[in-house]
Amino acid sequence: MAGPLSHIRVLDLSRVLAAPWTGQNLADLGAEVIKIERPQKGDDSRAFGPPWLKDASGAETGESAYFACANRGKKSVTINLSSPEGQRIVRELAAQSDVLLENYKFGDLARYGLGYEDLKKVNPRLIYCSVTGFGQTGPYRDRPGYDFMIQGMGGLMSITGERDELPGGGPQKAGIPIADIMTGMYATIAVCAALAHRAETGAGQHLDLALLDSQVAVLANQGANYLATGVAPPRLGNAHPNIVPYQTFKTADGDVILACGNDNLFRKFCDVGSCQHLATDPRFATNGKRVENRAELTALLNEIFLRRSTRDWVAALEAAGVPNGPINSLEQVFQEPQAVARGLRIEMQHPLAGSISLIRSPMRFSETPIEHTVPPPLLGQHTEEILRSMLGRSDEDIAKLRSDGAI
Amino acid sequence: MPGPLHGVRVLDLSRVLAGPWCVQNLGDLGADVIKVERPGAGDDSRQWGPPFLKDAQGRDTSESAYYLSANRNKRSVAIDVSTPDGQALIRRLAEHSDIFIENYKVGGMAKFGLDAGPIRLHNPRIIYCSITGFGQDGPFAERPGYDYLFQGLGGLMSVTGERDDRPGGGPQRVGVPIVDLFTGMYATIAILAALHHRDLTGDGQTIDVSLFDAVMALSSGQLSHYWCGLTPKRTGNASYAIAPYGVYPCADGQMIVASANQSQFVALCKVIGKPEWSSDPRFVNNAARMSNYDALYESLSSVFRSKTRVEWEAILFKAGVPAGPINDYAQAVAHPQAAHRGTRVELEHTLGVRAPGVASPMRFSTTPVEYRRAPPVCGQHTREVLSELLAMPDAEIARLEADKVIAT
Repeated sequence: MAGPLSHIRVLDLSRVLAAPWTGQNLADLGAEVIKIERPQKGDDSRAFGPPWLKDASGAETGESAYFACANRGKKSVTINLSSPEGQRIVRELAAQSDVLLENYKFGDLARYGLGYEDLKKVNPRLIYCSVTGFGQTGPYRDRPGYDFMIQGMGGLMSITGERDELPGGGPQKAGIPIADIMTGMYATIAVCAALAHRAETGAGQHLDLALLDSQVAVLANQGANYLATGVAPPRLGNAHPNIVPYQTFKTADGDVILACGNDNLFRKFCDVGSCQHLATDPRFATNGKRVENRAELTALLNEIFLRRSTRDWVAALEAAGVPNGPINSLEQVFQEPQAVARGLRIEMQHPLAGSISLIRSPMRFSETPIEHTVPPPLLGQHTEEILRSMLGRSDEDIAKLRSDGAI
Repeated sequence: MPGPLHGVRVLDLSRVLAGPWCVQNLGDLGADVIKVERPGAGDDSRQWGPPFLKDAQGRDTSESAYYLSANRNKRSVAIDVSTPDGQALIRRLAEHSDIFIENYKVGGMAKFGLDAGPIRLHNPRIIYCSITGFGQDGPFAERPGYDYLFQGLGGLMSVTGERDDRPGGGPQRVGVPIVDLFTGMYATIAILAALHHRDLTGDGQTIDVSLFDAVMALSSGQLSHYWCGLTPKRTGNASYAIAPYGVYPCADGQMIVASANQSQFVALCKVIGKPEWSSDPRFVNNAARMSNYDALYESLSSVFRSKTRVEWEAILFKAGVPAGPINDYAQAVAHPQAAHRGTRVELEHTLGVRAPGVASPMRFSTTPVEYRRAPPVCGQHTREVLSELLAMPDAEIARLEADKVIAT
């Protein structure tokens, strides 16, 4: 059966990551997603390489790996938004679409006659989703927003990284663009909810998603701690403020996470580590004592963990029922038996690269499974197809638009 | 106007964070959420303090800040699902619901006869969403899942933290339980998409969302690189691909400078009074800047140290170069944009205080998110829900309470 959103058409005017991530989610769910790109260059992220997709002979194509991560399932149409003819085509496409995604700076599209108020007139059912750094209102609305800045400004870096008194202590950013991706997730939810509202009332609306709002919203429990106490939480590195041992250790060949949430689990760990004396040592017998004597215990455990490999530790702790896990590199991730069993790495046929690897959507439906069929498109791959099928343009029209630089 | 999910009812048997986060999204969007909790203790995360919400006299209540962060816009009903009477109640409530959510271990709900099979048999329109650590199938399916373990297992910690050749280099976890939160987001999207499908066809379905699948999906960009031949490594606060894109010293601390392209770099050099740097062979393009990273860092730092962060922010903004602070939470919520966007919301709590929380980032022009209910105390709405949905007489409610099936 086709995906749950297979009757929905999305006009995607967005670039780079946050809003393209939304477009990809909607495409995964079965929507027809038409990505509008600048002629010649296209989405900025097409140039974010190396690495590039490689073709069957191992030669690099002009398609970046970055672009591939957020644009599968979409059609690419090249239109010059600064030309009046191009603007007219986008208005005509919007008249036949359910959702419009855009992440231009505040006011940019309105200058082209493509703002919400303009398009509402041609399609009152349109759900128009704007994604910006700071939102459509407020003193910062004119500023561009970048993931890194938002991770810093929004507080996430203040609680990520080693404790200040340890070597290398200081703020760190998350290793993936969390603020961008989380905003893309919120935008997806908002679009789906607005579709539900439209199904009831027939009315579209304007959605205003901001990186700063989204990053602050996912401060979640740490944010709640702050709001409840007025005290900004510090960085704790990989340790837990109230539970010991609940942290990472270096092993003979890597690292392992040990998460002993109670005294019983600590005793079980001591059996596995052949250090039963620690479980009965009055300094470490209870969690409270272990928190008090954290430094001493950690020093002893550091030595014990160095004796065996990560794989040995994981196997032995697993057998004893002690929560643990490896810190995998991305290479190791896809060797995990569970990753293989769940088919997390998917292969798609690409017009330039032959077969490319991508990651499966984590949404599993019993009746409407997600089908990954359309690879990240080449720039303008579907321009003619869309102009013919949706707008009924003739070969002559298309040739003229091309020579005018509108497409 | 009521929220876009007005009229949709959610029966929520999830605990702790990933499931409750999903359900809070649905509640924010206007759904009627019935949170089912164990009589007495309730959701585990209620105990996860300090800090706890304080009452009007400044004393700690039973409600942890952790719990408050994921449970607004819900009603709490205390039912013991391990009793046959409790299970019968859940089945009856499911007949009046559109969505059923649970995050028990694989097989946990089946033991109670509350798995997707029997629930969907009684209500073919229901959307049944399971959230687990590793998913409903595969060799690890029966294992429990904790956010921290998935940050390690899923590769996220391998790309977060300082470079290995720097002091303190090594893997770090992200400071919020990001895998739980993303899993909750994917569950929300899947449920909304399934509601669409149901509106068209009348059919419900079963949804299987896991922390394992979610942590992989959110590493999509890094993995795309890996599969194209570049193994991602920790680069601390520097970008692995772009310079200058990192943390730099200034007169009063540190700031982030995120110059993403050549024209921004040219503008940056001009505005800091070093226009010649953009034609310096060491810095002339991004590839050169990456090769001469340390020289670039030292050169820029020597200039940035001369002014404060706020001064630089204004100067760089004029040049179109993004720059900003590394805020702690106190500073983040004090940001003028946070004040304008209404980031802090407060809800009247039944314990007589105002419970603080963070606003939803979903802003609708027609159907704004409404903050209707503070996070409930355990069982606050048992009586209300059973009489409203099941038309249960007071005498039966009293009997169930005496039998310890429910708590009111």
